[in-house]
Amino acid sequence: MTLIEVTTPAHTPSDGAVVLRESRVRTVLGHVVLGGLGLLCIVPVYWLYATSLRAPEDIYSLRPFPWPLSVASYAEARDTVDLPQLLLNTFVMAALIALGQLVTGLLAGYAFAAWRFRLQNTLYLVFVATWLVPFQVTMVPNYALLNQLGTLNTITGVVIPNLCSALAVIMLRSHLRSIPHELLEAARMDGRGAWSTLWTVVVPNLWPALAALGVLLFINAWNEYFWPALVLQRTNNVLQLALHSFIGPEGTQWGPLMATAGLACLPVLLLYLILQRRIVDGFVRSGLK
Amino acid sequence: MTVMAPETFVEVAAPERVAAPAAVAVPLLRRIARAAPPYLFLAPGLALLGVWVYRPLVTSIQLSFLSWNLLPTSPAKFVGFSNYERLFALPDFTAALGRTAVLILGLLPFTLVVPTVVGLLARRVRGRAATVYQAMVFAPLLVAPVAGAAVWQWMLDPRGGLVNRVLGTTTNWLQEPGPAQVAIIVITGWHVLGFATLVVAAGLAGIDSEYSASASLDGATRWQTTRWITLPLLSPTLSFLLLMTLLLAAQWSFPLVNTITHGGPSGATTNVYYLLWDYAFGSFDAGLGAAAGMIFFVLFGMVALVLVRLTERLTFHDS
Repeated sequence: MTLIEVTTPAHTPSDGAVVLRESRVRTVLGHVVLGGLGLLCIVPVYWLYATSLRAPEDIYSLRPFPWPLSVASYAEARDTVDLPQLLLNTFVMAALIALGQLVTGLLAGYAFAAWRFRLQNTLYLVFVATWLVPFQVTMVPNYALLNQLGTLNTITGVVIPNLCSALAVIMLRSHLRSIPHELLEAARMDGRGAWSTLWTVVVPNLWPALAALGVLLFINAWNEYFWPALVLQRTNNVLQLALHSFIGPEGTQWGPLMATAGLACLPVLLLYLILQRRIVDGFVRSGLK
Repeated sequence: MTVMAPETFVEVAAPERVAAPAAVAVPLLRRIARAAPPYLFLAPGLALLGVWVYRPLVTSIQLSFLSWNLLPTSPAKFVGFSNYERLFALPDFTAALGRTAVLILGLLPFTLVVPTVVGLLARRVRGRAATVYQAMVFAPLLVAPVAGAAVWQWMLDPRGGLVNRVLGTTTNWLQEPGPAQVAIIVITGWHVLGFATLVVAAGLAGIDSEYSASASLDGATRWQTTRWITLPLLSPTLSFLLLMTLLLAAQWSFPLVNTITHGGPSGATTNVYYLLWDYAFGSFDAGLGAAAGMIFFVLFGMVALVLVRLTERLTFHDS
């Protein structure tokens, strides 16, 4: 499944041969440019894993393939930080945030798609306008509020302020609008209320889009850095923050740092490899239109 | 596009605020009950945004007129506009604005030029290869910013780093002002390239192929078709990306600046958002940070508004 619809333009038969040669050149050019760019993009990711698998004495080696393979860096990382606990914390944080954003987005998207009401456009703008408010403007008051609530240095403190995302609302609204209106009508005829229509009719029909968006939101939350860095200042107990343990005044321990960074990226990269088509489809179709 | 909201739940008037006479009390209640559902469904999201986005925005406005060191025990003092005056007197502030402009300009090739070229070329490549290229370009987006920062720091290490040894240079990338700025731009660009490529691909997929087909029937060359049909129809997508770059460039590079350079060397990579962070949590000057935040908020809001207006006037739409 390619990302882009390939268009085959019609040509008159007379210039067929020229066009064929020309189009082959273009295809080769396409492969060269895309392949080269792809390689440039992937080199840092490859180097991350390559370094993490080198033996400690080979860390500075430039050989493209790490040989002999060694898990010494991973062992050292495990001895310095509590990797299983970090993975679990990060997973719980990302899953809760993604789930919360999915639910609030679904409810709001449903309200915007199924009814017409007086403040509709204004309220939609209230969601979209959050993109204009930078994190750095809200951080101090939010930090103070979390301090009052006593949730600083806890996962709860990271999750709660992130339970609603404008992106989820916007995407789910456009998905919900594409649900045939007869379906909602039929549900009403059956005597279902709005709440039961949402869960028994809308959600089952929206399953693929919800899954794709859920994965995107999970990835976003997993990679989140600002807010955890602020709230978890004292504990550093998610993966992205644990990386700092290997950067010290007496020099950086590249091996274990790369190993931990590699682990921090692994779940997301695997998730993407398995679900690539779905994520891309979900993203392209929910169409930033 | 889909039709406007279905008529299933017919338009209902919002509840009246004025107290109604007893005689019409029952119908009024019923009207409220009928109008309530969409608001109830919106309530959780709105409540969260109210508490975690708009309340702090208002608080920040107040904070920008106070002098406070973030300690709950120490009192905040009202100081009027002095935070704003102090801000404009500080050379850091205007310098950070200038560096943010450089950052934005430096990122445009990554968010506009390359994705467009890639998107147009990708139409010639199909099948499995296209999926693989796409995955490769998209991969950096999945790398957590801090992990990306770590690996780039390693590759740019002046002693054993990959970059210097491949290029045969001895540049100390992250310790010299010019190279450090370049490094931050390239790493940020590497991160967002996949996203921009995906957005352009989505935009190209949305363009009806009949336009270019009929153009080439009329004898237009491939370049003419691209120049006069595809690019104009892509302009809304490109202006969306331009808007995102303007608003979010400093935001995208923040984790890198915070992990790799800490704004240095000698402030060379301090952009507007890093400056805010530094005011609040570096020098614990909450009032100054809030005042700077307000100025950036207004500034970026105006930029967005102007750009959206321009976009409406200048772009082409397929309909």
